[in-house]
Amino acid sequence: MEDGEVERVDATACASHCGGSCLMKVHVKDGVIIRIETDDGEEPQLRCCLRGRAYRQRVYAPDRIKYPLKRVGPRGKGEFTRVSWDEAVGLVASELRRVKETYGPSAILVKTGGGDVTLLHGTGRIIERLLNLFGGYTGTWAYHSWEAATFASVVTYGTIAVANTRDDLLNSRWILMWGWNPSDTIQSTNTTWYLAQAREKGAKIVSVDPRYTDTTAAFADEWIPIKPSTDAAMMIAMAYVMIKENLQDQAFLNRYAVGFEQYREYVLGGIDGIPKKPEWAEGITGVPAATISRLAREYATIKPAALIAGIAPGRTAFGEQYHRAALVLAAMTGNVGIHGGECGGRCLGDQYPFNTYPFQLGPLMEVGVNRVDAEAPLQKIALKRYTVGDRIVPRSSARVHISRLADALLKGRAGGYPSDYKLFYVTNSNPVDQLPYAKKWVEALNKLEFMVVQEQFMTSTARFADIIFPVSTFLEKNDIIASGATPFYGYLKKVIEPMPETKSQLEIAMALAERLGIRDFNVKTDEEWVKEIVSGSVIPDYEEFKRKGVYRIKLSEPYVAFREQIEAPESHPFPTASGKIEIYSQDLADMNDPLLPPIPKYIEPWEGPEDPLSKKYPLQLITTHFKRRAHSQFETLPWLRELQPQALMISSADAQLRNISDGDLVRVFNDRGEVIVPSKVTDRIMPGVVDLPEGAWFSPDERGVDRGGCANVLTTDRQSPCGAHVTNTALVEVEKV
Amino acid sequence: MGWGFYFDQTRCTNCFACVVACKDWHNVPAGPASWIRVESIEEGWYPNLRVSFLVRCCYHCADPSCVRVCPVRAIKKRQDNGIVVVDQEACLGKDKCRLCSEACPYDAPQFGAEDNAKMQKCDLCLERLLEGLKPICVAACPMRALDAGPIDELISRYSGVKEAEGFVYSFELKPSIIFKPKMKSSASG
Repeated sequence: MEDGEVERVDATACASHCGGSCLMKVHVKDGVIIRIETDDGEEPQLRCCLRGRAYRQRVYAPDRIKYPLKRVGPRGKGEFTRVSWDEAVGLVASELRRVKETYGPSAILVKTGGGDVTLLHGTGRIIERLLNLFGGYTGTWAYHSWEAATFASVVTYGTIAVANTRDDLLNSRWILMWGWNPSDTIQSTNTTWYLAQAREKGAKIVSVDPRYTDTTAAFADEWIPIKPSTDAAMMIAMAYVMIKENLQDQAFLNRYAVGFEQYREYVLGGIDGIPKKPEWAEGITGVPAATISRLAREYATIKPAALIAGIAPGRTAFGEQYHRAALVLAAMTGNVGIHGGECGGRCLGDQYPFNTYPFQLGPLMEVGVNRVDAEAPLQKIALKRYTVGDRIVPRSSARVHISRLADALLKGRAGGYPSDYKLFYVTNSNPVDQLPYAKKWVEALNKLEFMVVQEQFMTSTARFADIIFPVSTFLEKNDIIASGATPFYGYLKKVIEPMPETKSQLEIAMALAERLGIRDFNVKTDEEWVKEIVSGSVIPDYEEFKRKGVYRIKLSEPYVAFREQIEAPESHPFPTASGKIEIYSQDLADMNDPLLPPIPKYIEPWEGPEDPLSKKYPLQLITTHFKRRAHSQFETLPWLRELQPQALMISSADAQLRNISDGDLVRVFNDRGEVIVPSKVTDRIMPGVVDLPEGAWFSPDERGVDRGGCANVLTTDRQSPCGAHVTNTALVEVEKV
Repeated sequence: MGWGFYFDQTRCTNCFACVVACKDWHNVPAGPASWIRVESIEEGWYPNLRVSFLVRCCYHCADPSCVRVCPVRAIKKRQDNGIVVVDQEACLGKDKCRLCSEACPYDAPQFGAEDNAKMQKCDLCLERLLEGLKPICVAACPMRALDAGPIDELISRYSGVKEAEGFVYSFELKPSIIFKPKMKSSASG
């Protein structure tokens, strides 16, 4: 940018990992961002949330990592010295070579994540391609957010493309928000805007949630608090009421589903001798039996009705049973494949490459074959039918489950893992803050021979690195993003020159490729990539897309998942083995795992309210999303921090028992660790439940006690049987400090 | 004709987009001064709760107390559009005088953290209005819960009322804001 230029305004999409992808209008003068506005153009406008509005402060944050750093002090102490790119890249390349030659490629463990969820620099595609060309690496498996929802949707419907576009909420007469809080989690741009319009059109809205969220406050006619990790029990009892009162849509089930009879038998008590009556569920969930019965009747008789099953209850012990039970309730009420209904599946809406609504893209960067993956057999899990586009999601048994990463780094082969891990490469991810059991992470990372982190800020993970590569923000490079349940593409434009010593993920990998002697890694610039991705898409005009920052996919009416399967079942079977909705799954029956039963069942959770451990640790911890962060992004921005202090949400009843007043410092602890944070005493959470919002950075004091409010000091590294990462099942005790 | 706000309390989700947009637009640093805030009003006891949100800013009163009490006449109500503006050069500063802040029941006058900070507050984005744009908070609101304009026009467009949950209308000051309030009957456990 030249000096003295006049102020200009660039439209560009926001790619923060908040759940949306909204339109920013960035005011730039003399090469510097001076203000950010949002969409005021054609409808539907895509207006930013607070995180997008604060992005100027993120780009110019004094604590942004501005040049390559090399560790000089003990690992994890955050003592670094500035080095040149040449030195940093040289060291990383030589360590990659040394570790591969000494231990083999599987000793290189790579953790990627969303980061900014774009199609070029987002996730881990770039580093995966580079390291595949280098000879392979050990990857991870399971999605942090929605593994249980993915599993249940694939088992039941054969696909994860199970959501309607969000504007279809306007066709609903009754909306059941289950553990779903889009006021904080966005859940695709404009979700709350459509919810407001649905309510104004007369829809009744009910919220089932341990917390009285801002979404509940704004939209719900009724709040039903429920004990975490018990959601499946309530849903199964709702099925009981429907069956007993013959309210299920039997014609729908006969025509489109298999296995209802087996489920009916279980629900009525024929399999285990326990009829799943509302009274049975009341004892487990804390929800009054009469409320369960009434809700079941409402859901079965008011049509169309949308059960939006949030993914937070899926991140519990046996959370997949909750998702399976939700999907089956939607089928029992005949709300699949119709306007105003919902399948009860993964509620996010579906971004490319999941192809919910009809659109396509040109080729993304090819990841290639990972030798370490290819040489090991596939895992025995039920997702064998699960593909993304034409690609089978990597489920090689060489991969390490995300919840077990710290354990794997710590123990390697001696702990039963497929390899010993010596070099850890992290990009677009912050595992120390975002994966369970922070104390174990500290031990594990201290054992490593070498660790590389690509970051913008000094997260708890970055503090452990040997080399930190500083990464440019999405306002400093070109990229493209596909939205979720509101159909559009966003163009991420390079609106300013990058901070002089930062590079994009693509540029970092190209520098490494050169040093590693990998010639055919990449020849395209970021903009050439975007052009190519756009070239095979429904976007008609690249330059117009770039100028406007957005291309809205015009649908003649809201998209409804499985409409063809319902309207023309003979020619459009469901993508399952039976071609029908699988209430009973033969795939699961064949696995013969009692913890992954072929029909949805309530399985008593470990660290649930009935666990004997609750004598010692009587409070159920949940770790919800926080409005002012997107996971661990934005944690240090002053404009956002001042809006919401990190605090433990505790009910007035539990606080009183412990002599805790609002704002008091409290110890939150279990056998895995201890956090000291201020309390927020409120009636907006169910007694027996406490909430420490996820995403705060682990900041241990000299005794190892976390002062940053990091929820994952307390969460478990045990995964749910389907592979779900468990962030909302953990028992703790709380004391006044 | 006096300008003011319209606020749809049934739509606000407490998302803070207006708060951050305002700080960015007007370059207000993190700290005690915020020209627009969102307040949570919580009533009842578990599980029978009711929570409403209220936007807090300068309501550009028809008869503003801040203008009346300012000893150096640093605060003025503009003749053309009724926007209440402050002349920071003239303001005595928070260490010497906080009369405006004490006189305002809506906490509109704001002060930064610096020594003897001068009063600052919402000016309804005067410079944007002169360009024909809505205030930044209105343009930011993902819920379209806010609007601004000549108060008579807002009244005829929205047929709003003068009170909402958490807001008491002052007959003396006549704040220029109308509401679609959250009704007592909605949302409870």
